[in-house]
Amino acid sequence: MLRVGRGGQDGGRRAPVSLDGVTLGIPGRAAPGSATPGRTAPVARISRSALDLNLRAVLSSTRSALIDVRADAWGHGLAFVAAAALRSGAAGLIVDDGGAAELAGTLDPARVVLSGEATAPEAVYGLTAGFTPVLSLHGSVLSLKRLRRGEGVSYGYTHRAPRDTVVALVTGGYAQGVVRSLGNAASVMIAGERHPIIGRVAMDVCVVDVGADGGVSRGDEVVYFGGPGEASPVLSEWTDASGLTAGELVTTIGLRNDREYVA
Amino acid sequence: MSGPVLRIDLDDFAANLTVVRARVAPAQLMLVVKDDAYGHGIERVVRRAAAEGVRWFGAFDVREAIRARSAAGPEARIFSWLTVGRTEIAEALSADIDLGVGDAGFLEDIAAVAGGVGAVARVHLKIDTGLHRNGIRPEEWPEVLERSRTLEHEGVVRIVGVWSHIAEASDREDDDARALFEDAVTAAQAAGITLEVRHLSASAASFARPEFRYDLVRVGAFCYGVRSAGGPAEADLGIRPIAALNAPVTHVSEHAVTLGVGSLHGLPSSLAKRAALAPVEGRLSVEHVDLGHTEVAAWPHAAIGDEVTVFGAGGASATDLAEAIGTVGEEILVRVSPLVPRVYRGE
Repeated sequence: MLRVGRGGQDGGRRAPVSLDGVTLGIPGRAAPGSATPGRTAPVARISRSALDLNLRAVLSSTRSALIDVRADAWGHGLAFVAAAALRSGAAGLIVDDGGAAELAGTLDPARVVLSGEATAPEAVYGLTAGFTPVLSLHGSVLSLKRLRRGEGVSYGYTHRAPRDTVVALVTGGYAQGVVRSLGNAASVMIAGERHPIIGRVAMDVCVVDVGADGGVSRGDEVVYFGGPGEASPVLSEWTDASGLTAGELVTTIGLRNDREYVA
Repeated sequence: MSGPVLRIDLDDFAANLTVVRARVAPAQLMLVVKDDAYGHGIERVVRRAAAEGVRWFGAFDVREAIRARSAAGPEARIFSWLTVGRTEIAEALSADIDLGVGDAGFLEDIAAVAGGVGAVARVHLKIDTGLHRNGIRPEEWPEVLERSRTLEHEGVVRIVGVWSHIAEASDREDDDARALFEDAVTAAQAAGITLEVRHLSASAASFARPEFRYDLVRVGAFCYGVRSAGGPAEADLGIRPIAALNAPVTHVSEHAVTLGVGSLHGLPSSLAKRAALAPVEGRLSVEHVDLGHTEVAAWPHAAIGDEVTVFGAGGASATDLAEAIGTVGEEILVRVSPLVPRVYRGE
């Protein structure tokens, strides 16, 4: 076991040379990336063009389409989705009580219904194959840490390092919709590379094994799913690992994180 | 009512606080209010706890800590787990927040900001005792202590606490973690640091293992009446759930009753065929969870409009549901949509 007070002098406990190139917090030196202002809480990024694309595809094959905008438009933002849907030619919107109250006075009441058969909601939000993901989830690297072979990670030590490596503490836990069952079962993308989530996902953070080679720094963006490019993790990996539907996964994420709208 | 409502009883919350505080005394309670007080509403929860005499509050980040500060008033101590950019450090210092520091670089950022605004930052240094999330590794601890003393002499920080998290993988491993914690505390004191508080344990260990209590225990779940998955029952702990997710009966057939709550409200669809609710007497299997509705096995005399308990006081607990799908009660609670109305009793 490591003991305090002599670890610094104990050559056997020093990190292997291969790990020393990694940028870690060093006493007397400000954290790298510390100039970055503001919070690093996860962000649900919502793409206007992806939503428009999906709406066009869905509406081209359906007359009198009803778009499901319950639960703040599945966490995508009611006002944003309602406007896009009507602009794209949807006949009406399916709302819940909260949605009806929010839209009252802004729309023709005839186009707002409390029940009905929604038109392909998973396609509208880009959650089925062949459609474009509208929501993507992004966290950031809070800190990096060496992990020695055999050391455990997070509650219950459900993961033990099979080799010396470096792990990143990443924003996003099950209170932000990064479901707990993803621990040891899903991966994220950082700087274009996939890295596994290891150990139990905690309420607000999780741990990612970024490998001993470096290439990841504090403040780096972490793509949980939905990012651009073939290599980005996709939500179906989350539905497989969690047994939850794509709709409920994105709804919780959209409702529990700061949202950011992009073109 | 066609949808669910989360009913929160602040008198039951106060009763749980009394039980927890009596159990951990003479250690003090730091009430954990992360994530909108586990979905119960941070302002009301903090206000009531402050009125009950709770003096320490634990928030995840600076934004939450500031919300807790405005609800708790100027006398309370508010602890922020996580410190990030310099903007937040400045906000935290102006709101008189205690800062958790698990990384040597953050300490420098805090010192720089504090020096710039002429404040003395109150810092709790986190030793990594094996969880390997944040926290300073033991072999780096002496160097960080030395640096801390320098910054104390410069008058920009004051190290008021040492803290850690334990993994609760096994008692033996937790004992090993506690030995590292003890060493870290001893080293800090030997370095000339005057510690005000030492804190190591959360709900489970603070109840079960007195030697883990030290000066402060950080408890969220038990205060909200949520037992640990696989742990002792609420009744054995002396606590009760303070929240109940209630939903109306929207349809009744011979074999099934439909409730106006579904996965868009945050009820996991994976509960279907795995979990049972106890909305009335007995346990009723969950047959299906769709976007807006949940179908459960029928019970006699069910009528449209009846309000029944999906989980919480008077029904299955959040942890009961969680265990059916391999998770923890906290996840069931924090997944309840923020759009579900909260109704409070005991304000």
